[in-house]
Amino acid sequence: MSDIRSLTLPIDEAAVRALTAGDFVTLTGDIVLTAGLPTHQRILECMREQKPPPIDIAGGTLFHLGSYSQDTPNGFEVLYINPTTSTRFNAVMPEIIRHYGLRMVGGKGGLDHASVTAMRDTGCVYLSFLGGGSPLLSDAIKEVKAVAWQDLVSHYRLVKLHVEQLGPLVVGIDAKGNSTFETLSAQASERLPEILQELDEARAKAEG
Amino acid sequence: MAITYDMVKSLSAELYESCLKKIPEDTKDALQHAVDLETNEGARKILAMMRKSAEAAESGNRHVCSDAGVPVYFVKIGTAARLDGAIKRAISDGFDHLVETIQPPILKHVTNPLTNERGYKGKDMPIVSYDLIDGADYVEIVCQPKALGSGRWAALEIFSFPTLETIEKYVMECVLKAGSQHCPPVVVGVGIGGTFDLCAKNAKLATLRPFGRKNPEPILAAMEQRLLAAVNKTGFGPMGTGGDTTALAVHVEYSSGHGFTPVAVCFNCWINRRAGARLYNDGHIERFE
Repeated sequence: MSDIRSLTLPIDEAAVRALTAGDFVTLTGDIVLTAGLPTHQRILECMREQKPPPIDIAGGTLFHLGSYSQDTPNGFEVLYINPTTSTRFNAVMPEIIRHYGLRMVGGKGGLDHASVTAMRDTGCVYLSFLGGGSPLLSDAIKEVKAVAWQDLVSHYRLVKLHVEQLGPLVVGIDAKGNSTFETLSAQASERLPEILQELDEARAKAEG
Repeated sequence: MAITYDMVKSLSAELYESCLKKIPEDTKDALQHAVDLETNEGARKILAMMRKSAEAAESGNRHVCSDAGVPVYFVKIGTAARLDGAIKRAISDGFDHLVETIQPPILKHVTNPLTNERGYKGKDMPIVSYDLIDGADYVEIVCQPKALGSGRWAALEIFSFPTLETIEKYVMECVLKAGSQHCPPVVVGVGIGGTFDLCAKNAKLATLRPFGRKNPEPILAAMEQRLLAAVNKTGFGPMGTGGDTTALAVHVEYSSGHGFTPVAVCFNCWINRRAGARLYNDGHIERFE
């Protein structure tokens, strides 16, 4: 699809389910992010102890984005954001997606099949951010709404930002069970025998 | 005149900062070339965003990526270079200086592998390797900060008298395993032969080679060409959106070894961080990418 769809947060289940893997979108509204595994473990502890996390994520977003936040006399400021590898969080994401009914997760590199299933059941999409897109992504930050778990290193903190026109981002996994990451990996595996054969032919030719 | 502590310290900091904020000129050109050739519309869009992000970082003095990586330096000392002061400490102090002064500040990525605690300092940081250049009247420093996104997909396996076919098949297995996790289009570095440690280093050094420089070993020049075509046939595309551009280059280096032949594969993400300089006895500095 060539159009870029402007989405506003919070977003409802129907609007999320209408998205298809490969769509380009931008986001305007409040997002929650972290790049830390310890942060995810704290969220899991909150779930088990049945207490709310310091920033509410129910029905919202949790993006795998690192951020540089610093305390200033006027409150926290976030100097930049950028995606981190989501597959690092494969083991914990399905439970978090289901428990909080997340509508959007994201980062870079996708999530595994257990998350794809959780996202299909819940009505949630995975958005792919441009790795190395820090200047473009950071320009979308309009306000720092909250910074929690400040004892953690900056990029592990749980941060809530108000963003405008964040993106373009690509729907990497939709709520229908389609994962671009799975599709492309399967496609590459299917192509591998042919690729290896072409390598053999090219080698034979080079060796003359 | 001599090459001083102060010169090496400030250069070590400058090269690191350059890696974070400016992608090499040849890489910008390669991305543009990829836009022109790419048949997938979404992929073209992503490639154009990459160019835009690189331009915004360079003109706005910003980081292209938030993962500043860990400091890695390759140093070559000319045997005719005149050194004045604690040159080894100068590199370490240069990185410390960068951490204290760079704007915007960088995140803490240096990790203690035993505790997973993170900071700016750690055992054996910065990672510096040294070599000698006979007769040269300069010190060459190359900086290549290494981040997790592409760093974690590096792999090495040791074979016994492998054929080229076996080697290339292994490279493709590594490429498929990494998929689109390493922020493609990537530079694929391959090391063949030597010993366990030398092979890994050769793969790393291969990623530092500028684009368009033909491998002087004809067997490898041909291998690089066919592997590049093979990697791009996988279809992962830029950032895994699908497309023809998964790698910008495949570079292969080799060393003689025993019949147990290590093959190492590593990746540089599309930002392709690398910056180098030669510091001469007379004080002048020659920068390169």
